[in-house]
Amino acid sequence: MTDAEFRDAYVCHKDLVYRFARRMTGSGEAAEDLVHECFLMLWRNAATYDPARGSLRGFLIGVTRNLALKRLSKERAFDELEDVTAICEPIDPVTRERSEMVEQAVAALPPLQRDALILAEYEDMSLEEIAQATGAEIAAVKSRLHRARENLRRLLAPLLETKGAAYGTHK
Amino acid sequence: MEPTNDPKLSELLREWQVPNAPGSLDRRVLDLRGAGSNKSWWRFLLTGSVRIPVPVGLAIAVLLLAMAGALVLRQQPTAPAPLSVSLVEFRPVKDVNVRMIRGDEAN
Repeated sequence: MTDAEFRDAYVCHKDLVYRFARRMTGSGEAAEDLVHECFLMLWRNAATYDPARGSLRGFLIGVTRNLALKRLSKERAFDELEDVTAICEPIDPVTRERSEMVEQAVAALPPLQRDALILAEYEDMSLEEIAQATGAEIAAVKSRLHRARENLRRLLAPLLETKGAAYGTHK
Repeated sequence: MEPTNDPKLSELLREWQVPNAPGSLDRRVLDLRGAGSNKSWWRFLLTGSVRIPVPVGLAIAVLLLAMAGALVLRQQPTAPAPLSVSLVEFRPVKDVNVRMIRGDEAN
């Protein structure tokens, strides 16, 4: 990979990778570290990226995801990566800002549900792209997304109800 | 299991926005890359390191030990070859004439 190619790849994908890392880790500093490690890996091991196997965007997200999961597993050594439902109580809408509550709810998801949801909802990636980035089958991605949304509906129930009422759609 | 799209949930989720990558990150990533590409060969010779796979490292170590062993064995002083004695022209004496010399005769 030449200097120019690397620079192009960085300029083109840095925001996507940073936003994903930021949402996965919940920390700006950790996200910067992950982006740094991700592009360093691309610079040093550019040969590991094979365009025939998928887009560079999917490859970079995959690398960042693996680094994030590694970091999360170190921080929370005893948490399961994936479970059926989150056990958190619904968030109290009175005490927190709405965006903060959404952040808290997404952070409460198991990591494998969280990464699928972030890529689908915030980065508008297709099921195929998510499957490539996460190294999972499309059926597994669908299942994770389904469970993630169910969990979020439960966690954010108070906000969804008030939102429905505010827009006149709540029955 | 189909992922159920839920516009209301999606709209709510979009309320959580995160910023794009900060400018400081550009410097951090691109500087490091620059430092890596401009590294001169003599600096590499002084400070560089190379990674080799364990099997290759072990093979090299075994080879070096074998060569060192062979060198040591070659330099060890070898025992002189025994002198060969040929008995082809040996003839036993026909008459043995033993002369006894007494002590007082010798003086």
